[in-house]
Amino acid sequence: MSRKLLVIAPALLIVLVSLWEIVATHRDVSSVPGDAAWDAAATIVRADYRPGDLIEFAPDWIDPVGRLHLGDLIAPGVAARMDAARYSRIWEVSVRGARARDTIGLSPVIEQTIEGVTVRRFERGAAVVVTDFAQALGGATSDGVHPTLELAEVGFAPHQCVQVIPIPGKPTTLAFHAAALGGSLVGYVGLADVFTRRDIRGPGELAVEIDGVRVADVHPGVDDGWVRFEAPTTAGLHDVAFTASATAPQRLICFAAEARQ
Amino acid sequence: MTLTLTPKRIGLLLAIATTVLVLVNQRSVGIARDETVYFTAGDHYADWWVKTLTFRSHATIAQTFGGAFGGEANPEHPPLLKLASGLSHRWLPFAGELTAYRLPSAILHGVCAYLVFAFALELWGLAEAVLAALCLIVLPRALFHAGLDCFDAPSMALWFATIYAYWRCLDGRRWPWQVGVAWGLALATKHTALLLPFALGVHLVAISIRARRIEHWRVVISLAVLGPLTLFVLWPWLWSAPIAHVRDWLAFHMHHVHYNFEYLGVNWNAPPFPWHVAIVTTLLTVPAATLVAAVIGACVMRKRGELKLPSVLLLVSACASIGPFFLGTTPIFGAEKHWMPILPTLCIAAGVGAAWAARKAGEAIGRPRIATIVVGGGLVLAGASEVIAAEPYALTWYSALAGGDAGGADLGMNRQFWGVAARGVLAEIAKQPPAPVYTHDASPAWGWYQRLGLVPKGYPDAGHEAAGIAASKLAIVIHEKHFNRHDYMIWKAYGTVQPIFVLRANGVPIVSLYKRP
Repeated sequence: MSRKLLVIAPALLIVLVSLWEIVATHRDVSSVPGDAAWDAAATIVRADYRPGDLIEFAPDWIDPVGRLHLGDLIAPGVAARMDAARYSRIWEVSVRGARARDTIGLSPVIEQTIEGVTVRRFERGAAVVVTDFAQALGGATSDGVHPTLELAEVGFAPHQCVQVIPIPGKPTTLAFHAAALGGSLVGYVGLADVFTRRDIRGPGELAVEIDGVRVADVHPGVDDGWVRFEAPTTAGLHDVAFTASATAPQRLICFAAEARQ
Repeated sequence: MTLTLTPKRIGLLLAIATTVLVLVNQRSVGIARDETVYFTAGDHYADWWVKTLTFRSHATIAQTFGGAFGGEANPEHPPLLKLASGLSHRWLPFAGELTAYRLPSAILHGVCAYLVFAFALELWGLAEAVLAALCLIVLPRALFHAGLDCFDAPSMALWFATIYAYWRCLDGRRWPWQVGVAWGLALATKHTALLLPFALGVHLVAISIRARRIEHWRVVISLAVLGPLTLFVLWPWLWSAPIAHVRDWLAFHMHHVHYNFEYLGVNWNAPPFPWHVAIVTTLLTVPAATLVAAVIGACVMRKRGELKLPSVLLLVSACASIGPFFLGTTPIFGAEKHWMPILPTLCIAAGVGAAWAARKAGEAIGRPRIATIVVGGGLVLAGASEVIAAEPYALTWYSALAGGDAGGADLGMNRQFWGVAARGVLAEIAKQPPAPVYTHDASPAWGWYQRLGLVPKGYPDAGHEAAGIAASKLAIVIHEKHFNRHDYMIWKAYGTVQPIFVLRANGVPIVSLYKRP
């Protein structure tokens, strides 16, 4: 009997894998919830949505479908936020058991799953922003080409950021005089534009000085994405300078920073 | 008169069925960016040849076949498939323009199925041959590529035609011209055929070692003389400066730009690439049942000890095709389409494995025919179910091993390329009031969509990048990781992140359509 089983085992294996594949393929085709489920999930969010709430979708690849159903509640600037720290209420709408990066470690205050779409709401203490340097760009001075405020692709994600394209070997400094600071300065920097990142492989550099003292020095490379930096600060008015430099041309150095209480 | 179903006729029926299936499937497949270049070049090539052979005045060789790389004449790729599609378009207008262009590729896929059948039939048997051919027919990605006027599926067919011709020429014939001509045709289709001599060389050395003397030197002469000669005859661009133009052709591919390509969640556009790209991608784009049968087949094939080492030939053929992608420097964009010549080997192994397993099981249970039907039927149905799930957006599809399209997206596998999926939003665009459209990666195909009536008049292409978006009232984004920036440009210009329609392949977003508020 066991010898007979051994002889038919290869055939059995092919048949079982084939059957599994037929069933699995059928299941996979309908494994992502459709518009009816998303409409129901959107109804839940809209019923308790407050201006200032952040809405996120998970996994990342479902984002276009999420924006199709709830995109009217997401301003471009919010979608291109620096990070999620300033949001006290976060809605996470997800499929396939995925979690958004910003909600990992948080416990939901509500959680409801409808036909495969899970809606969770998280609440927490938000960071209080004293100065948003990207928004304050108009009041800054530059010793080179004046930086621009962009909604750019950095690390394949959207970010509203201050973009500087320094001449190789000639750093560009952006100075904010008498900027209000709190207990910390948090920022992110990266290289914008996938094609210049592909064609020119050198990193950029962003140095941050407060009252002439260097508090951060970041060297974002082509594969580093949106790189976080943080420095402790003392509350009050201070001169803050961001210096972007690169040895390679066409480094689209894009950064955002917030002084937080 | 009765018509006996001989093995040869079965093979021909399978070949015809393959071509018909490709032609039916391609009807709902959008136009690939590269196809538009090949359409134009093919028309020019066909015109040049027809007028030359009928002694009429025509454009010069340089105008038709030369010019800058990346230009309309497309000198960076050899001419055979483009010429065939141009002739098909010229002579078979009743087929529909798009279908006519794609017909040669579809026919060559049928030829490939026939050759797989013939090779397996000659060496193993009818059941093996039928199953091998059917396994090839129900490969979703191969079916997709065969329906495009591109070089990848045809290059697989002509690669395997060379392998088959080589095998047949090992019979000691005095004039083994077939192998040289077949290789020349493969060379005239795609540069990757340059890898074939590595496979054939290894095999010749292996059988020479076994025979303890140099074997089949005439085959080598045929390859060395007739291969390049066939390429030369078919490619007028080589006539004026063969060495310089061959050098330019190869240099273009040796220094090819690395297009962006997502693999396991990372956007790759510069070497070194992961060594496992080819293995993992193949595992996730060939039906699982076919893979299992192929593994069994590989074990069984190894046991056979024919003097001419057919299993070794199939193995080195696959290795020569896929080998460069383990180096970490070969561009990985396009993924499995660039190593498609492994598929005949894989499918023959699957056919041999499934037939062997069925035969053994049949002997054990005393029902050989039922065993063959159950095992073979299961194997083919599994592939067929993947085909149904995959088309027409097969570049987004991954097998059940990955978890389907959504599983592939979870794994961070490449979503698609060439802008093919744009066809799926044309009907939605037509529902909107006429307006300029930012057509993104479908821009090269837009004129064709308009010409074919798939986009009504009144929806002109608004142009490229930021200027195109600024001039548009509708905008599409064809989702690939490195195309995210197009979403962001549209958000900024339109002041909204909300699309009005999202085309999905089995739930996975592939195209977003925006409307300016």
